[in-house]
Amino acid sequence: MKKIRVLIAKPGLDGHDRGALVISQALRDAGMEVIYTGLRQSPAQIVRAAVQEDVDVIGLSSLSGAHNVLFPAVIKQLQEESAEDIMVIGGGVIPINDVIALEKQGIDKIFTPGTPTSLIAAYIEDAVRKKHGEESMFFTKPIGIDHIGIAVNSIEETAAFYTTHFQLEIDNVVEVPEQGVRVAFLPLASVTLELLEPMGENSPIQKFIDQRGGGLHHIAVAVSSIDERLNQMKKSGIPLIDEVPKKGAKGDPIAFIHPKAADGTLIELLEKKEEAADGYV
Amino acid sequence: MEEYKIAYEKWQHEVKKNLSRRPERKDEFTTGSQLEVKRAYFPNNFDSAYIDKLGFPGQYPYTRGIRHTMYRGQLWTMRQYAGFGSAKETNSRFRYLLEQGQTGLSVAFDLPTQIGYDSDDPMSLGEVGKVGVAIDSLEDMELLFDQISLKDVSTSMTINAPAAVLLAMYIAVAEKQGVQASQVRGTIQNDILKEYIARGTYIFPPKPSMRLITDIFAYCADNAPSFNTISISGYHIREAGSTAVQELAFTMANAIAYVEAALAAGLDIDDFAPRLAFFFNGHNDFFEETAKFRAARRMWAKLMRERFGAKKQKSEQMRFHTQVAGSTLTAQQPENNVIRVALQAMAAVLGGTQSLHTNSKDEALSLPTEESARIALRTQQILAHETGIANTIDPLGGSYYVEALTDQLEEEAFRYIDHIEKLGGAVSAVEKQYMQREIHRAAYDAQKRLEKEEDIVVGVNKFQSGEEQAPDVMTVDETFVENQLNRLKELRKERDNERVRLSLQQLKDTASGEGNLMYDILEAVKAYATVGEICHTLRGVFGEYSV
Repeated sequence: MKKIRVLIAKPGLDGHDRGALVISQALRDAGMEVIYTGLRQSPAQIVRAAVQEDVDVIGLSSLSGAHNVLFPAVIKQLQEESAEDIMVIGGGVIPINDVIALEKQGIDKIFTPGTPTSLIAAYIEDAVRKKHGEESMFFTKPIGIDHIGIAVNSIEETAAFYTTHFQLEIDNVVEVPEQGVRVAFLPLASVTLELLEPMGENSPIQKFIDQRGGGLHHIAVAVSSIDERLNQMKKSGIPLIDEVPKKGAKGDPIAFIHPKAADGTLIELLEKKEEAADGYV
Repeated sequence: MEEYKIAYEKWQHEVKKNLSRRPERKDEFTTGSQLEVKRAYFPNNFDSAYIDKLGFPGQYPYTRGIRHTMYRGQLWTMRQYAGFGSAKETNSRFRYLLEQGQTGLSVAFDLPTQIGYDSDDPMSLGEVGKVGVAIDSLEDMELLFDQISLKDVSTSMTINAPAAVLLAMYIAVAEKQGVQASQVRGTIQNDILKEYIARGTYIFPPKPSMRLITDIFAYCADNAPSFNTISISGYHIREAGSTAVQELAFTMANAIAYVEAALAAGLDIDDFAPRLAFFFNGHNDFFEETAKFRAARRMWAKLMRERFGAKKQKSEQMRFHTQVAGSTLTAQQPENNVIRVALQAMAAVLGGTQSLHTNSKDEALSLPTEESARIALRTQQILAHETGIANTIDPLGGSYYVEALTDQLEEEAFRYIDHIEKLGGAVSAVEKQYMQREIHRAAYDAQKRLEKEEDIVVGVNKFQSGEEQAPDVMTVDETFVENQLNRLKELRKERDNERVRLSLQQLKDTASGEGNLMYDILEAVKAYATVGEICHTLRGVFGEYSV
């Protein structure tokens, strides 16, 4: 694929260019061609440079508080030059309400302080793929929720609640000794409840019950290609428990994302084969 | 041994002399358990290395502090940087801060003012009143200091490229209050080299910029001897991502360049050196920061005495302001910033700072709210009045670790300075982008360490979970911009435009030839010429700097 071209620009009078310089370098290290405009560029100058340099993306950086005026001015200028196909992203000290307003005005995405540069690089890469009509590898919606995992002391005891009061049926019970878990499947429309019972002392489910007393354990999200998802997440700096997929209870490839990625919720990725996904939906 | 005794007795004598003029804050200082706290503590076995490297407080090489009694005599100045929107709004924030016990003012200007554009200039779009107060003419400056007596406060102004213009305005306001230029106290930042290196609010190329600076030195030596004519700043170099060693080295290299420019302009070292001030960053690495401040004092004293042959003690004494590191504040879990600020401020106090700005916890999100600005000031007051760290001089002096770090930082910084000398000095190194590249490399390395989790930032790459609440953020009322533009329009109509034209013509002539620019700038300011008009006149002669 052609190298992605990015223009990093400092609109307005702000002279703080540490962020702009660090992002420029990080995107170069990620294999992109980066042009940095230097300080004090007007929206017109930025757009002219972007068109001349034939970039895919403009990255705007401002720490002076002038973003509400200057970022939309760049969008307007792009429209005037019929160059709206150039994506605009921004960064800086930008309060959350301004982020929302700017993203409504045509700025594709605002990255605030503390964002890893690897995430920005992955975001740009993916957006450019999408622009070229290629399938996005991440930041697309997954197929759906496949199942919800619930940690229980005993399948027999807890299942009674679901089978009695919700009239769910136990589809199947399997043992997965390598993961120290016995699983009961209770389907309900498109989502299955999975009751997870610990097998043995070293079972991660046992540890979970000891620490948190059981209950909601994880959410499993069905995706079309688990390898590509994992790859993109890794690039974005998302902490993973499983860097390579393993076999799940039903034999599908699965992988867990570290709960600190989502403020404490354990998320499982689960690959659904196309035909399975069709039948499933 | 003998040498030590003489120095000790000299110190004792000076202390006694000081005490008769101004007693210490308390008759006796004690710990929480009422144990006596001595003025300073010294080694049991003296050697000549002690005198060479540390000396006594208020004595060369000033490693232990530039005053004989330090904070026992007088606490540091608590000086919070403020300014936003219009002169009128900022004036009321100033008066609020003075009521809250702040002891000095610090003015933040908006970017158009800092880069010499009027509020109605197309270049000012979106920037008017954003990072500080918008000043177009003397009229705005009069509003800014309305009901604040310039005889009684000291004012620090963060202004560089147009420093001469804002200083002239300050003096003009003082004169209108009946205060003489010789009575005003304060500091202008006026450090253009670090603007090229790190902060970006330059206007003119280096050479005419250096001329403006030495003109200010000369003007103030004759007319405003109590004004600090420059605040040579490592702060922004550090914020741009440098290490502590680079901060120390580049600041000192810039200082050397200013001194040499002033000497070349025919000034006497002891006439201007006492008014040179410094501005450092208070960063995270607690002991390294304390050591940095101590090393800086010693380096400056040596440079002044050994290299420049200064005779006055005041020329050798490095006075510095510290602001804690804005770049270490996180948007995530902003409450944690209160703790970061407190620790950074503590390192600065242990390092013997003369004045201190503590950041507000919400600065990674927006301009500080009144509440967060108050917590920042209270942090300093707690350090000053509750912790006891101000009760003895240089409490970390003699620590094996801190002394070793102090020596190492000095050595490494001098190594850099030697290299910069080989490049032809700081001005030439700046033109060659040497410091810029060094800082950028350090900044990028730090970012990579962060992303690899080799460096931990609490709440950012570790310990992220926890309730995140959207904090209150400060927003500037935008309606004032229109107001500012109307007032400027009105001013251009009402003032004596012929007087403005003549004063600018005179300024242009002086700029094209020789002569001190300060006097003409003062005339233009008094005629209500605007910052933009004055800077534009100078741009016409000097040109503009671009990378």
